[in-house]
Amino acid sequence: MRLLRQTIALTLITLVPLHAWSALPEVVIEIRDHLFIPQTVRIPEGKKVRLVFINHDSSPEEIDSFDLNREKVIFGNSKGSIFVGPLPNGRYKFFGELHPNSAVGYVIVSDEEKTDAD
Amino acid sequence: MRLYLAIALLLLLPGKVLADSFTVDRVYHPYVLPFEREVEWRLTSRQSEEDGNILMQRISFGHALSEYTILEAYIVGSRDESGDFGVAGYELELRSMLTEQGQYWADWGLLFELEKQNASNDWEFKGGVLTEKELGRFSLTTNVLLVYEWGDTVPSEFESEFKMKFRYRWIPEIQPAVEFYAAEDFIGVGPAFMGIKRFDKQKQLKWELAFIAGLNGDSKDHTLRMAMEYEF
Repeated sequence: MRLLRQTIALTLITLVPLHAWSALPEVVIEIRDHLFIPQTVRIPEGKKVRLVFINHDSSPEEIDSFDLNREKVIFGNSKGSIFVGPLPNGRYKFFGELHPNSAVGYVIVSDEEKTDAD
Repeated sequence: MRLYLAIALLLLLPGKVLADSFTVDRVYHPYVLPFEREVEWRLTSRQSEEDGNILMQRISFGHALSEYTILEAYIVGSRDESGDFGVAGYELELRSMLTEQGQYWADWGLLFELEKQNASNDWEFKGGVLTEKELGRFSLTTNVLLVYEWGDTVPSEFESEFKMKFRYRWIPEIQPAVEFYAAEDFIGVGPAFMGIKRFDKQKQLKWELAFIAGLNGDSKDHTLRMAMEYEF
């Protein structure tokens, strides 16, 4: 199953336009004590961005966002990425489904030149 | 454009064979989450002038096997000619997520199903590709499936199915959509709604409701389908 999955994924990846391979802008968000640090990140309008979550807690966290249409589990003491955008200007909420009272964050999409995305 | 080309190519694979035992059922999304556990109930009621009312229900339990794969086991119940409701078959379903959400132009997954009839030695295997393309607050989901049937009372043959859902992500609890189905002797389209109600932590209830009108043929052919899924 794993081999089949990898084979098909590789086939699909070959169909991806070359420009998709260029490095995406990245924003790193750390998870410590079930909090997102920083809590708010700014990304550019109209661009795909990789949000890299580094979970320093021993327990997993499930990132959930209806605004961003994303769901992703970040295992304890590991990291994972969520791909967002291109998005229009706005404020997009995400939260940790396993710790919804503390793990709350926002992605601010703006047309300002300076954002948190490298 | 790439999605439509892929769908067109996949539709060409089985040639002219399309599923004759087709029933309107859910359009699958190509996503799986680790730790996912779910129980699900589905109801499909098809009303046609030829066959009267065909009622089918499914109850399932699903458990994620890994970060990218989930296995579900189904008991399928249906109402027979004399009006009695009983177990019609059993089904195993394996769904796999191939790409991360938003990583590529569209999101991709795989679906495999194996079903056996309860009263006869008849089998059905389905395998196919699931896709979802995000278009702002809209999502276009497609399922292209190749079906193989064999057994004592059904001829061994390949068939195919195509399902599509165009959804507007309005609010989590209510997401209106249009669903389209194509199989042998059946083309149907109609309104659909789905929603998610979250409870504590990973506990959530998903619901789906659709009313599909058969477009081919001159007589009435309507299907109402409902689904409730509890994830925990």
